[in-house]
Amino acid sequence: MSEKIENFGPGNLAHWKPENIVGTTSARELLFSNDYRKIALKGIFTAFVMLALGGFFALAFRVELTVPDVQMLGARTYMTLMTLHGMVMVFGFLIPLVVSILYFMLPKVMGTERLIWAGAAQASYWVLIVAAVFLVIGRPDFTWTAYAPMSMRTGNPLLWMGHVAIILVAVSEFLAGAVLLRNGIAGKFKLGELPLIGWAAAVIGVLFMVSVIFLGLAGFGLLNDYMQWSKVAWFDPSRGGSIQYFLYLFWSYGHPAVYLPFVPAIAVIYTIMPRFLGHKMWSYWSGVVAFILLGLGAIPIGPHHFQPVHTISGTYERFVQVLTMLVFIPSVLHVFNWISTLFMAPIPASARRAVPFKFMVMSIAFIIYGGATAFLNAQIAPDSDFIHNTYWIPAHFHAMFVGFTAQMGIAGFYYLYPYFTGRMYSQRLGNWHFWLWQVGLFLKITGMGVAGYLYFPRWVYDYLPIPGWVEAQIFITIGGFMIGTGFLIFVFNVAWSASRGQKAPDNPWPLEMEDIPSKATQPAE
Amino acid sequence: MENALGIWGPQAIMMAITASFTVLGLVMLFAAILMKRRWKPSYAFEFGFIAVMLGLVWYADKLSVGTYSAYQANLEEGTKKVSGNYDPEKGQVFDREFTVIAFQWGFAFINEDNEISRNAAIVKPGQKVLFKIVSNDVIHGFNIPVAQITAEIDPDARREVWIKAPDEPGKYLIQCVNYCGVGHAQMKAWLVVEKNEDTASLITDGEKA
Repeated sequence: MSEKIENFGPGNLAHWKPENIVGTTSARELLFSNDYRKIALKGIFTAFVMLALGGFFALAFRVELTVPDVQMLGARTYMTLMTLHGMVMVFGFLIPLVVSILYFMLPKVMGTERLIWAGAAQASYWVLIVAAVFLVIGRPDFTWTAYAPMSMRTGNPLLWMGHVAIILVAVSEFLAGAVLLRNGIAGKFKLGELPLIGWAAAVIGVLFMVSVIFLGLAGFGLLNDYMQWSKVAWFDPSRGGSIQYFLYLFWSYGHPAVYLPFVPAIAVIYTIMPRFLGHKMWSYWSGVVAFILLGLGAIPIGPHHFQPVHTISGTYERFVQVLTMLVFIPSVLHVFNWISTLFMAPIPASARRAVPFKFMVMSIAFIIYGGATAFLNAQIAPDSDFIHNTYWIPAHFHAMFVGFTAQMGIAGFYYLYPYFTGRMYSQRLGNWHFWLWQVGLFLKITGMGVAGYLYFPRWVYDYLPIPGWVEAQIFITIGGFMIGTGFLIFVFNVAWSASRGQKAPDNPWPLEMEDIPSKATQPAE
Repeated sequence: MENALGIWGPQAIMMAITASFTVLGLVMLFAAILMKRRWKPSYAFEFGFIAVMLGLVWYADKLSVGTYSAYQANLEEGTKKVSGNYDPEKGQVFDREFTVIAFQWGFAFINEDNEISRNAAIVKPGQKVLFKIVSNDVIHGFNIPVAQITAEIDPDARREVWIKAPDEPGKYLIQCVNYCGVGHAQMKAWLVVEKNEDTASLITDGEKA
């Protein structure tokens, strides 16, 4: 029965044979091999190192924020950690994680069995490492948005390293985008048969390559103004530059930057959901249309990030507001598609107990939670009230970035785990990781939302004991530590199961309609 | 931003719509996971859903534009005085007027008598107050939680914001919400609403000036 159900179309077959790639790869091979799985694993494990780093920064300033009026880090250390948290998590963890998972999946799904332009993927990885080193040495404290002219005047003598890191990130992401685009259209498929992961890779590849040009220009402009290379500054108004120029440049990348990890995460859902359920997605074209609309909408709606500037009542502002709300539609097309697919047929018991499937379902819950608030954020009137730059915004983007994208990356990682270690993860530890993350994320995101509704400003290391603020911060801190604990369990699970876990059967994700616990836990050898 | 207008409706409606959308989505998701019954939605259902959302977008745009247009109209009416079109017969739109300089790191409030305060704007209960905000270094934010208003000020531009002061006398927070450098967390000031009978020695009412 299972054989028949699984072979229902290209791209959704049982993918690899489980084998122990991690254990048999030398360090040299892992660093420089052009094998697609080794490039992907290198990216994935680097991303988790970055997650540990960024998470450590987050917990450090969570402790600082729990109680008002008690200083442990001080303003400059706090802001440096905050800046590095944002940059490391977005550029170092989220984007590389989901892009690496696509590197792993695409060659198999497309049938090419190799990563085309693997050299570019290598270069992308190493440039990103250099950028990370620059960030750690330069320790910028201008937040990841690097607003000019503040980001040239923070008094940090190594500020230029932060600007150079921004340019390097742009170069790295451009190369990654080119690789994704090339591999997304690599297979020999007819138009209506290209797997959705291919559509996603093509759309996001183009978006990568177009949007990072703006980031590179913004980074170069900052460096140019800081070094005073040109007589008239680009952005610094005291030397004839324009702030608006910076804002438009930066957010032309800054909004697509949200989609750069978001769309590959969606592609992972479209790939693993049919595998777990044993049938096709509810609608193919609905997914395609949604990918294209998301790609088209990404850049023009960037200005909604600085709605309450200058004026709020022009025609252009209204156009951006409406367009932003319309981006609701492709997101809902995706979510509708997933829920309908889950509804179509009975869900196999094998899927219900699989940790990646659980993570996938909860990431859909978080995209609903974070996505619905985006409808409110898009409107200028509430944005000029309690939304702009209060904790409401971190609540929204942590729901989307951590609740959806990171959890989907984790789901993809658990799904691929038997394919590159040859063993299964520990189910019990996986469940602990799952529940700690769901409860922790919910506490954290809801706490941030409540704090934002009470006008708690972003980017402060200390605050007044205003009613509600302290309680909200305590909730966020508890949630943060739960997520940290879950991450430690995850790391232990990954390391321990790689050598001691049960040997994975030939098909690690068989379809079983009935729950037979003895069979599920029985080693396959 | 609605408090300044004395209405709270549109925002509450939008919050309710957002919350019901969240609940609807979560109920659908968990029903798909937990319910025994299976169901294959038709494509018409999806198109219907999209149509509802287009309606919501139209409605949200209407409410939002209505709210901020009314706010801006009031502002434009008030600034006519500055451009010389002020008609004394009609009276002033705003009871008080402050020029605010946002700097690294603090606010300076300059009242009608050119008196400067580094940490407080002193007004009477229920007064309509106009803030003309400039920044001469970096991008700053200007947020008065009690008046439900947030603005962002570029160094090369001027931004005007008006509020209706609370009816309860007291001290209300004014804060910067844009990261503006290492002292950002200290960039606070107070909106002091004092009782009608009290008059601080330094501060005079706008009308007298």
